Amino acid sequence: MTASISDDDLVARFVGHPLDHDNADHYRGRLEHRLLLNRCGSCGRWHQPPRPVCPSCWSSDVVATPVAGTGTIHLTLFLYQGPPAEGVDYAAGPYPVVTVELDEQPGLRFTSTVIGAPNDAISIGRRVTLDWMDRGGAPMPVFRLDRVAQ
Amino acid sequence: MKDLVAFAGAATTGFVAHNTGRSQASLAAEACIDVLRQCGLEAADVDGICGSAPSAPAVQSMLGIPEVTWFANPAIPFVNHVAVAAAAVHAGLCDVVLAYHAAYRLPWNTLSSLRDPFRRVASGPMTPGPGPESVAGAMGYTAWASRYMYEFGVPKEHFGYVAINDRSNAALNPAAAMREPITMDDYLSARMIRWPLCLLDMDVPVDGADAFVITTAERARDMALPPVLLNAVALGMIDKNEEEQTPSLRHHGQQVVVEALKAKGDFWIEDTDLYFPYDGFTPITLNWFENAGWCAPGEAGAFIEANWDKAGARILIDGRIPVNPHGGALSEGGTQGSGHIREAVHQLQGRAGPRQVAVADRAIVTAGGFFFNAQGLTLRRDG
Repeated sequence: MTASISDDDLVARFVGHPLDHDNADHYRGRLEHRLLLNRCGSCGRWHQPPRPVCPSCWSSDVVATPVAGTGTIHLTLFLYQGPPAEGVDYAAGPYPVVTVELDEQPGLRFTSTVIGAPNDAISIGRRVTLDWMDRGGAPMPVFRLDRVAQ
Repeated sequence: MKDLVAFAGAATTGFVAHNTGRSQASLAAEACIDVLRQCGLEAADVDGICGSAPSAPAVQSMLGIPEVTWFANPAIPFVNHVAVAAAAVHAGLCDVVLAYHAAYRLPWNTLSSLRDPFRRVASGPMTPGPGPESVAGAMGYTAWASRYMYEFGVPKEHFGYVAINDRSNAALNPAAAMREPITMDDYLSARMIRWPLCLLDMDVPVDGADAFVITTAERARDMALPPVLLNAVALGMIDKNEEEQTPSLRHHGQQVVVEALKAKGDFWIEDTDLYFPYDGFTPITLNWFENAGWCAPGEAGAFIEANWDKAGARILIDGRIPVNPHGGALSEGGTQGSGHIREAVHQLQGRAGPRQVAVADRAIVTAGGFFFNAQGLTLRRDG
């Protein structure tokens, strides 16, 4: 149902995001709480950010495809200041940003924040799982730390 | 093209870390007029123009340069400008290029610029983005700084050496914006901006401009100043060039630049007298040391410790090779590489004043960062 939302409405829902023909399906997926990244229907390779052709085999058969949402933190930073955004209060403490290497393919990465964890627990190498938040009425993919095995 | 294209001259307005009350065009004009006069040239001698802001057409109009047969407005960093200008000269599209870079404090990087209505107009409308959940742009170096510390288990002090070296060197450079020496304690107590990087890990937003005359080596020999020959130049990039998708600290644009400069040029670090690694963010500099081959991955901090001139509180490789002797982006000012190249030219011309290196025959500049802006050039004195 949401998949049929018009391009006009999609742009209106995701204010400030760089929407275009090549990433519109990714954003339509967000409305259904599905994280869709481009996968090649010809060679099976994933890529990110969304491109109109497969960078590995040049096929145009690229399809926004759900990922499992599990992965490992590859990069971290903590913002003491930054752009204003709903739900972000830099005065309350540094805001974490993480780049996560997803389990689907080595080097396939997605960047967001981590919720529900103190900053000192958010570190490179930690396993995470996808979750969803709301910002400005639009769903936003985020991560939660997995419990560390005892 | 090797050694067939030369810098005939280089000039600067000097840099300040406050709003000058001048336009970006005014700064560019001052540097451009200065370099043309130093080279003994008039407006009509210029037939090529290359710079980012103001645009080449605006500079031509402002300086009354009667006719050009070639111009370009490349993106920064400044090796982009040098490479394309040198290629244009070598290909015969023009003979004498005026190349310039005006650094200008803008609302996106300083609050005082945001309060300046002319600077708000100059930067255009600021459209709100989706939020801070990104490692694009400046955040990318912070994100990879955390990875550097994680992979190599090194302390933040290793980044600090880069900042201290630049500041010590800037003390001898009247053109530099920040000339008060700093200590490791100053570095470690500086305001955190984006962990793990603090205020002193990031280049200084400045007002000021550099300008250059780039021409054939043959033509440069007839001008007023000693020519500095462009031995090799490279802009390196790999397919995964997004900050987020970059494969690793040992596989990005810098490695491509280093291999290209070694293959296309005549010398490398064993035979250089000066080294200019980019330092817009301190982790870039450490990675350049490693990728250039001065030391192994993760060992840049230890390499700097082993080559530290205690008396001068600065790096002196093998007791003789200074690193960013003008103070670099962190202390002279954020010039996106033009300051590094200008200082290299002045050193090889023997015109670096109190910073002059006794024997300055060859210099290596490795400008830019990791992703879509790693670049470099090698320069040598003529003759």
